[in-house]
Amino acid sequence: MQLAIRNVSKTYPNGVRALHDVSLSIPVGMFGLLGRNGAGKSTLMRIVATLQDADEGSIHLDDLDVSRRKDEVRRTLGYLPQSFGFHPKVSAQRLLEHFAVLKGITDAGARRDVVESLLRQTNLWEVRGQKLGTFSGGMRQRFGVAVALLGNPRLIIVDEPTAGLDPEERVRFLNLLGEIGEDSVVLLCTHIVEDVEELCSRMAIIDRGEILLEAEPARTIEQLRGRIWRRTVSREELASVQRELPVISTRLLAGRTLVRVHAETSPGAAFEPVEPDLKDVYFTVMAGHHGQRASVPEAAGAAS
Amino acid sequence: MKLREVFRYELAYRLRSGSTWIYAGALLLVAFLVFHATADSDVIHLNAPIRLAGLTLIAGMLGMLVTAALFGDAAVRDVAVEMDPLLFTSPLRKAEHLGGRFLAALAVNAIVALAVPLGLFIATLASFLNPEGIVGPFRLSAYLQPYLLLLLPNLVLVGALLFTTAALTRQVVPVYLAAIGLLIGNVVAANYAGHIQSAALVLLVDPLGLCTLQQLAEYLTAAEQNARLLGLPEMLGWNRLAWLAVAMAVLALLHRTFRFEHAGIGGRRRTRRAIVGPESMRPVPLAIPRVVGSFGFRTTLRQVLAIAGHSLAEAAASRWFAVVLLACTGLPLLWGWNVGSTVFDTSTWPVTLLVTETVLGTRFALVPHLLLILYAGELVWKDRDTGVAEIADAAPLPDGAALLGRLLALAAMLVLFLAAAMIGGLLIQALQGYYRFEPGLYLRVVFGLQLSEYLLLAVLAMTIHVLVNHKYVGHVIVALAVLFTKIAPAFGIRHNLLVYNGDPGWTYSDMNGFGPFIGPFAWFKAYWAAWALLLAVVASVSWVRGREPGGVRRRLRQAGVRFTKPVLRTAGVAIALILGLGGFIFYNTNVLNEYRSPMERAARWAEYEQRYVRHADTPQPTIAAAGLRVEIHPAEPAVDLRGSYRLMNRTETPIDSVHVYLRPEVRARSISLERAAAPVLIDEELGYRIYALEQPLEPGESLQLGFDVSFRPRGFPNSGLQTDVVGNGASFNRSWLPFIGYQPMFELADDEAREHLGLAPRPAAPGPGDAASLQDRWPWRDADLVDVDMIVGTAADQVAVTIGALQRSWMENGRRYFHYATEQPTAFGATVFSARYALREDRWQDIPLSIFHHRAHTDNLDRMMRGMKASLEYYTAQFGPYPDRQLRIVEIPRYGGFGSAHPHTVAFTEDVFFSRVREGEVDQPFYGTAHEVAHTWWGGWVRGAAGVRGAGFLSESLANYSAMMVTEKTYGLEMARRVYGFQLERYLRGRATQAREVPLVEVEDQPYIAYRKGAIAMYTLREHIGEERVNTALRRYFEKHRDGRPPYPTSLDLLAELRAVTPEALRYLLTDWFETVTLWDVETKRAVVERTTAGGYQVTLDVVAKKLHADSTGNETEVPMDDLVEIGVFAAGEGDGPGEPLYLRRHRIRSGEQTIRVTVPRAPARAGIDPYRMLIDRTDYGNVLEVQAAAGSRRSRPVNAAR
Repeated sequence: MQLAIRNVSKTYPNGVRALHDVSLSIPVGMFGLLGRNGAGKSTLMRIVATLQDADEGSIHLDDLDVSRRKDEVRRTLGYLPQSFGFHPKVSAQRLLEHFAVLKGITDAGARRDVVESLLRQTNLWEVRGQKLGTFSGGMRQRFGVAVALLGNPRLIIVDEPTAGLDPEERVRFLNLLGEIGEDSVVLLCTHIVEDVEELCSRMAIIDRGEILLEAEPARTIEQLRGRIWRRTVSREELASVQRELPVISTRLLAGRTLVRVHAETSPGAAFEPVEPDLKDVYFTVMAGHHGQRASVPEAAGAAS
Repeated sequence: MKLREVFRYELAYRLRSGSTWIYAGALLLVAFLVFHATADSDVIHLNAPIRLAGLTLIAGMLGMLVTAALFGDAAVRDVAVEMDPLLFTSPLRKAEHLGGRFLAALAVNAIVALAVPLGLFIATLASFLNPEGIVGPFRLSAYLQPYLLLLLPNLVLVGALLFTTAALTRQVVPVYLAAIGLLIGNVVAANYAGHIQSAALVLLVDPLGLCTLQQLAEYLTAAEQNARLLGLPEMLGWNRLAWLAVAMAVLALLHRTFRFEHAGIGGRRRTRRAIVGPESMRPVPLAIPRVVGSFGFRTTLRQVLAIAGHSLAEAAASRWFAVVLLACTGLPLLWGWNVGSTVFDTSTWPVTLLVTETVLGTRFALVPHLLLILYAGELVWKDRDTGVAEIADAAPLPDGAALLGRLLALAAMLVLFLAAAMIGGLLIQALQGYYRFEPGLYLRVVFGLQLSEYLLLAVLAMTIHVLVNHKYVGHVIVALAVLFTKIAPAFGIRHNLLVYNGDPGWTYSDMNGFGPFIGPFAWFKAYWAAWALLLAVVASVSWVRGREPGGVRRRLRQAGVRFTKPVLRTAGVAIALILGLGGFIFYNTNVLNEYRSPMERAARWAEYEQRYVRHADTPQPTIAAAGLRVEIHPAEPAVDLRGSYRLMNRTETPIDSVHVYLRPEVRARSISLERAAAPVLIDEELGYRIYALEQPLEPGESLQLGFDVSFRPRGFPNSGLQTDVVGNGASFNRSWLPFIGYQPMFELADDEAREHLGLAPRPAAPGPGDAASLQDRWPWRDADLVDVDMIVGTAADQVAVTIGALQRSWMENGRRYFHYATEQPTAFGATVFSARYALREDRWQDIPLSIFHHRAHTDNLDRMMRGMKASLEYYTAQFGPYPDRQLRIVEIPRYGGFGSAHPHTVAFTEDVFFSRVREGEVDQPFYGTAHEVAHTWWGGWVRGAAGVRGAGFLSESLANYSAMMVTEKTYGLEMARRVYGFQLERYLRGRATQAREVPLVEVEDQPYIAYRKGAIAMYTLREHIGEERVNTALRRYFEKHRDGRPPYPTSLDLLAELRAVTPEALRYLLTDWFETVTLWDVETKRAVVERTTAGGYQVTLDVVAKKLHADSTGNETEVPMDDLVEIGVFAAGEGDGPGEPLYLRRHRIRSGEQTIRVTVPRAPARAGIDPYRMLIDRTDYGNVLEVQAAAGSRRSRPVNAAR
């Protein structure tokens, strides 16, 4: 099972270039797609989820052409979009049953079991009879997860799933995904770096429609080891530091500013080396010190 | 300041939006379409100001959908896009927010609505589309006044209501429902305005000005309608002001009620980032259910049903759905309560065929149409509107299944709506005490015929919504498309194979069921169902998934991908069915039958005239006797007619050729003459034949013409299915028999068509004074009074009836035969009836009376019997002896007109048989019988000269007068006055819509003069000179002309008799009522009462009067008046009449103001001039006032005169 995205480009009629020559290989397991808002993540998700067509390029799920054989892709697809709504006057159980039928679960007994089990999984069993219009945002999000998990999907696309979940829910949800990811392709699209760091065996960073980095999180963090330095500066110093050094991130800390810098060697005495994390990878890539923008040959290649 | 910013922002937003301009385009199109679709009068200019005002209103009413879209959007958009939290927390005041939005929407709508006058103007320029219409002079005000006076105030009112609905419910659907409700409410109001007695009240209860406009235009003649600009009549001004005030009140209410607050639970909101729910997370062991979907036909079917069920449940969950269902029951009840008011105030029983056909099929039809348009859009857009589409569209659901499920849901909704409407229909019947429910008929009409039409439209509506892919534009385009299917014939597209959902129509008859209609209807619907299948294929490959902005090219490409083999197969099947069914229908309509446009049909008669008019004056023999054998085959249907005429030369010259004419639809097997003759011309196509006699027929000599012809229709035509020979209730006349000589009756009468086909206009009909034309007997030239001997064969279970006395009846070869023979020479109509009749018999003196009726139609038989007896009683005593030896009434299916008179036989359609006469209503079966029986004297035995002006006066006016007199004798003066009121109103209504008006003695083919004015003129004369004098004149006239031989009488002969009995002082009546078109205008200005010293009451009336003569186009000139007019003083009374008369006497009334003093013994309540409305006076208020005490100087309050 592998999702292969090759040279996909997409330009909207209003001239916005959403995707430019995107290629990714996504094996079974969790794959994180990181990028800031408007980077083209959702467009890519929708194209993979059969809801949009690319202008160029192709997407294959194994040997299934996603743009041509949409019906077959949809049979194994679980999709949780970034934004969605529900018919407000239907109960959760009723609507989930409805979706179960749409997902081809026509056997009444099996359907009842699946629906019950999913509602329990997402902790909605207690409120199964309530109208969806009365659900809070988190409940709706969990309901969306339940819908996405119907029909034992082998390709799961979740677009910003943890947004709106409380920390506990988030953990549960990610665990759930991780479990599914053991034998499905799970495409997790997010701007929350921690989600990817904790769960994903592989990841990509996308910005302005282009893939800047495709790598294994652990390996790419390893590559930054010894190259991230930090110090705290006063507000007056900040401008000169930013001008002179490759600053990748700044953070206010107790009235002073904590600066992280990407450098092969120590940029100065005031800097201390720090253990890199995925955020550093992200910011480094975004700042152009690493990945495609840095024009540095990238070690991380095809999946092993 | 902020108000201005809100306004400007909103205005700019709307004007930049493409849909705004699409709405404008749609309105322009609507205006253009209604302009041409409603052009039907050849006298009122296409751009007559009153007509333009009416069209503006109609287009404006359809434009309510646009208003709903604009105002609904303005009020709901913030909530829909979830901008409300930002907006409502800004320091904006309610008035600024609501005011700015409302004013901007109003401004945009006002701009958009300019498309209506513009569309009307463009339509005027394109008047060549309506070659028959006349365009009057262009006046800008004629277009702008209705916009300013009608449309704009309506926008404010409707906008205020819809904006308020939208702002308070924060949903779009209620806005559309409110718009539909307003539309319907207005139609209801218009429907019932006629029943509200006070004209002033009508003007004020009419929110959109529709009734007001109708009232203003009601009795205007063509000339006035063409000339008069709308202006600002007082009543219209009050109406507008009153409703603008209502709009302000509604907005004030909105301002009070509206809150800047969260829409709350139940609103349709999307979730993006959301807060955590209050419920706690309990750790549950992870377990992912591993159930995999299975896919195949069964699953798809299950999915279709799931979509259908879910969509239906979703729609039904809305509380508006219950409102809609309730409306579907309530509206038929409201609209159908007075179903089938046929004549005067008498309505028929709410029989099932009327309830299904008229109420559910016609009056209520607007509602299912609107609902299917609304819900088709809702179903297509629902998922996208709620935001669930993102998830649902990624489900493994075939595109076709998504569409089909929604179609099924729409079908189910339509079934629910129609079922609710059917309950309304049943309630109409039950509540009016009619318990003969026919559930089978309901089911067949509502869920067979009507549902099939709606389903086909539903497919069209959904397809358009899918293709257009813009909800509101989609609504507008669907509405236009549905409208177009209804009015396509007005644009010359007449073949039912070309207009979606087209069919030849149907009429249900109790006697004959669906008769000949059901077969062709089913074929056409099957053909359109095949188209619907193709549309569904198109819709399914164009089905929108996800939220790809839809470029045409991209969607085409996508559709191409979706054309998989099964889809192609389905499309192939659809196309094969279209071709197959279309071919079969085409074979029927265009090969077995001739498909001709009206003009092509006219061309045939033009050719008949062009080729053979030169024989018009060739001397021809006339039919002196006829022996006929008519074989009716009701089931086939077919008629074979064999027999012979004895042709006699009644001219003074020898005749050397016999011209025989057969109508083209009749096939001649043989035509033979008794003596040697050579066929010199056989024109099969036009049906004209000329046989030259070797030996001429000398004057007084006669010869036999034998013939064997048949009428056997094949297949079915595109429209106008024949209903003469049907399974049960055949009724036809001599038109399939040979005619002798050229018949001017068949000449094309329509002058426009004549000109178009190169024929000279027909010479004006000769006047009554033209002695040269008194030799022809109406309507055929070849027969006068004829001895007829006829054997009619029909199905074994049917009874055949024709003119003459029944000699014997027998069975032969499984068929039933009837032998009839006339007892004296009789007008030759050869009318034959055949049906499974039941018979009711009675007698009057020695005259047997019989009614041949449909077995179930027994309600009115007694009334008809009474009518026959009372008529014979009165007419024989007053006019002369009854010339026949029997009298009968025969029921015919409701395909044709109301009633017709034949020698000793009256034919009534079914409607008369289910008339319901309630206390105080005109006994219509009685009156109709009296009218038709009177034709025995007037128009039967004494018949006016054919084709001479004034002939209608001699038949219809006298028949109506006679019937009024019989009604008066049987039911009293009050009832006769009631009839009088109806006749007067119909006359006034008639003259408002008809072209040329002529005096009664010159009447041409103008029923509103011959029937209506004739009735009131004769009755008024009776009121002044007395029954005895009038009837003496009629008796003398009858005596003089009863021999039925030429020269035939004219209106002048009758007028001379009337003049002879009218005293000199009253002869002005003959001038005013019979010889000119005269109108009166009388009004009571003041009615004051004072006690006299003698204990009586003196009433002082200030009245004003004028008298007008109108020329043929309605231009009026005032003439001096010095007429006898009734003055009445009345005690307080109940009911809608003026009350119990204390004083009632005719006074000489002059033109202008005058004062009349009357003393009465008791306290008067009301007083006035012409209290019973006997004069031809167009204003129906102000004749009678409530009297005021002398001290009071206030203007008296008008009350309504009796009607």
